[in-house]
Amino acid sequence: VTIGPLLTLLLVLALAPAIPGIATRTRALLTGRRGAPVLQLYRDLAKLARKNVVYSRTSTPVFRLGPVLVVATTLMAAVLLPLDGHTALLSFSGDLVAFTGLLGLGRFALVLAGLDTGSSFEGMGASREVTVSAFAEPALFLCFTVLVLASGEVSLAGMLGERLAAVWPVAAPSLVLAAAALFMLALAETSRVPVDDPATHLELTMIHEVIVLDHSGPELALILFGNALKLALFGALVVSVLVPRGLLSPWLAVLVLVAGLAVVAAAVGIVEASMARLRMNRVPQFLVAASALAVFGVILLLR
Amino acid sequence: VIALLLAVGLILTGAGAALALRRYPRLADRSYAGLLLSGCTLGVARSIMVLRGGPAVMVTLPGSLPGGAWMFGLDPLSAWFVVLVLGVGACAAVFGLGYMAPEREHRFVGGAHALLALLLVALVGVVTAQAMVPFLAAWEVMALSAYLLVMFEYQRADVRRAGLIYIVLTHLSTLALIGMFAALAANSGGHSFAELGQGNQAPGTARTLALTLALVGFGIKAGAVPVHFWLPGAHAAAPSHVSAVLSGVMLKVGIYGLLRILSLVGGAPAWLGWTLFGVGLGSGILGVLWALAQHELKRLLAYHSVENIGIILLGLGVGTLGMTYHRPGVAVLGFSGALLHSLNHALFKSLLFLGAGSALRATGTGIIDELGGLARQLPWTAVAFGVGSVAIVGLPPLNGFVSEWVVFRALFAAGPSPEPLRFAVIGVAGLGLIGALALACFSKLDGMVFLGSRRVHESSSLPAHDPAASMLVPMLVLAGACIAIGVLPGLVLEPARAIAISVTHATETEVSAYGTASGDAARISTLGLGLFALSGALLLLRRSAGGLAAPRRAPTWGCAAATATSRMQYTASSYAAPLLAAFGPVAGVREHREANAYRSHPADPVQDDAVLPAWRSLKRWSDRLRGIQGGRLRWYLLSVVFTLLALLYYLANARRMP
Repeated sequence: VTIGPLLTLLLVLALAPAIPGIATRTRALLTGRRGAPVLQLYRDLAKLARKNVVYSRTSTPVFRLGPVLVVATTLMAAVLLPLDGHTALLSFSGDLVAFTGLLGLGRFALVLAGLDTGSSFEGMGASREVTVSAFAEPALFLCFTVLVLASGEVSLAGMLGERLAAVWPVAAPSLVLAAAALFMLALAETSRVPVDDPATHLELTMIHEVIVLDHSGPELALILFGNALKLALFGALVVSVLVPRGLLSPWLAVLVLVAGLAVVAAAVGIVEASMARLRMNRVPQFLVAASALAVFGVILLLR
Repeated sequence: VIALLLAVGLILTGAGAALALRRYPRLADRSYAGLLLSGCTLGVARSIMVLRGGPAVMVTLPGSLPGGAWMFGLDPLSAWFVVLVLGVGACAAVFGLGYMAPEREHRFVGGAHALLALLLVALVGVVTAQAMVPFLAAWEVMALSAYLLVMFEYQRADVRRAGLIYIVLTHLSTLALIGMFAALAANSGGHSFAELGQGNQAPGTARTLALTLALVGFGIKAGAVPVHFWLPGAHAAAPSHVSAVLSGVMLKVGIYGLLRILSLVGGAPAWLGWTLFGVGLGSGILGVLWALAQHELKRLLAYHSVENIGIILLGLGVGTLGMTYHRPGVAVLGFSGALLHSLNHALFKSLLFLGAGSALRATGTGIIDELGGLARQLPWTAVAFGVGSVAIVGLPPLNGFVSEWVVFRALFAAGPSPEPLRFAVIGVAGLGLIGALALACFSKLDGMVFLGSRRVHESSSLPAHDPAASMLVPMLVLAGACIAIGVLPGLVLEPARAIAISVTHATETEVSAYGTASGDAARISTLGLGLFALSGALLLLRRSAGGLAAPRRAPTWGCAAATATSRMQYTASSYAAPLLAAFGPVAGVREHREANAYRSHPADPVQDDAVLPAWRSLKRWSDRLRGIQGGRLRWYLLSVVFTLLALLYYLANARRMP
């Protein structure tokens, strides 16, 4: 284990709460409002960490385990990504299956924590969350297939590292398609417009927000941080695919990552400013479109 | 050899004890459990010796039995499945003692125990037989003892119906296998597996026919779509610990059979590989989709067996394609994925069935929408069931992840191969979809059964509690195995890989480019332990946060609604509805809308839309022939005369031919 990937990981952890802030601020500016400060989420987290918690009388330890697992799994998933563009803290062949599996475990824990309250609102949110993810997962695997076929490597560190930079000129069309699909997935996985609207205030139209309705205090802080970190990870995937950093020096690679994350965050904000959320039954079509982009990428490489 | 025969002897003695000591139930239970457990332990220990590189054994039963020499053997492939049969079988049998105890007053429980022991012995016979006739004999004993166990509650009409469909389908499977052996025997000099294999190394009509029949026969037994429809009914009708053996173990003899036949004929044509691949994907996706639509606990679990058989067949398909297109690395990954998932599915599916049985005994109902909140009343069952759920969804750090990871690697390894093998890489999207749908299904099951609160009217919810230790311990042992394999995958990866290499007849150097699995196993352990450590650290850290010192208790937030009742909770049907709606008619949900009522119930599209209509029209057509059987003697005599004449004419012509 070298110090480089570890430092980059700590940097990403520190910067993650700024990403939703940038997205929300961009959205506000584009729609003619001033909006909350970029660093608002840091203040929210600090405030929530000090607050008291309220537990539902129907809930069991499953409810308390949910937020912990959300953060733990997202952190372990981050360990598998080559954030500095070269190596990951932990890497083995087929670790991309572990990456999706860890995110899946986090989702499983969150959904069960929601169902633990016995609230019909949270049941509804849980049902929508698993529906969205059922369509998002194949698309994510297809994006990874593009990367595997392009680079010939089956580990995240391998397929996003130096090999990718070498094959980029040849496989560019497929990789751009995969990056576009990954960006759409980032919106779906972290509950942004057009799949979900983090700013909505009606429980009946929520997905992610309604699952965590009963969470409060430090536990809500964990969930908010986990979601911001997940957005950072998907942003890092998009940046790594679009800007192969395998041949850059580590410092430059990290600088590119930070700038790239800011750009992805701004792009999320632009999408949120320019369109409304989709009707619930349209969401699967949005994700099938993401899969279709990735399938085209695969076909171009299988030719 | 002695150890294995002794193990079988002990298990059979246990069966005898359960039967003979009918008058003394406590003594019968104790001697049955003791004998069976020691037999299973002995068999598992002997098989593990073979798996760790000990010499394979072969025994020929003495005396002159029909159908050539009765040979049984324990090579690594057989040993793998013997571990699975006896390991899971022992847990299920012990659980069965407590589970069946309340039935003792009105049914012959000792008979059911003895039949389960017989079923286990027959299963061991099937996976160790090394010749045609003993294989078929053991196969038939297995099929019939399973039938009698399914029919345990024969007074119920739905049980009888499920039993009928099962016995018809299992005999179709036997018929196909007899045909398969006949086709294989046409080219060979003897009836032992080795001779059958030697005679069929080259492609030919007989070999093609044999492989087709093997696909049908073993496919029915494994429960692959479209011949899966016997499975949900039979597995839901049987007592829960028997369902655990049927779902966890008996389906796997279909997988064993396919692996054995592939290994014997030393390769397969491309169509077989692609068929297995397609059937695997289809069974996986449709199985989990139909599971999602189920309203009944055990039927839902049974459909998940169809899904997991799909994942196993996907691995088998990729492995077969790897053999066909001379990619031993892909073949070994595919076959080891299939073997590992067979073992893992046996562990977590039997765990889930035992957990379902314990919930069933505690509450008296298996309808998901009538349950809820059981985690507070049955905490240990909930923990065990939760471990099984995470495992079956294929999430790290449990065993389901390990085997799905290997199947994924096989699919990804197919990617850089030449055409047409590289197209198999598309299977990763299907496997990803299966995983996500399984997550939806088990979040529904865990959430609706164990979390929230009871959904039926308060007065009808009786106090429920965890079962006795004799039922809890088998569940916890299985859950422990799921965790152990997930955190220390090195335990199983190497043996599975060695068997896969022997099945493909590859050499170590040919597959070394794909890694030796031990380095990866260590990293998966790191990942699992890291996850546990991180969660533990966060839990401790959480304690230091100020607000958690004195948590407040309040009713669930009702979004400004006054009082929430347990009937206002989300139901399992509405939970699954958006996902099922997205798949349309494939999901098989039947809806009934009236002016003031709405009901939905799951149907099996294959059984209810294809097989049963076809069966009814066949019956209608054959009814027209009934006129012949009018009870008049002269018509009978006339038909006998005509038949004789036709036969004589045929014989006369046949004689004339050279």
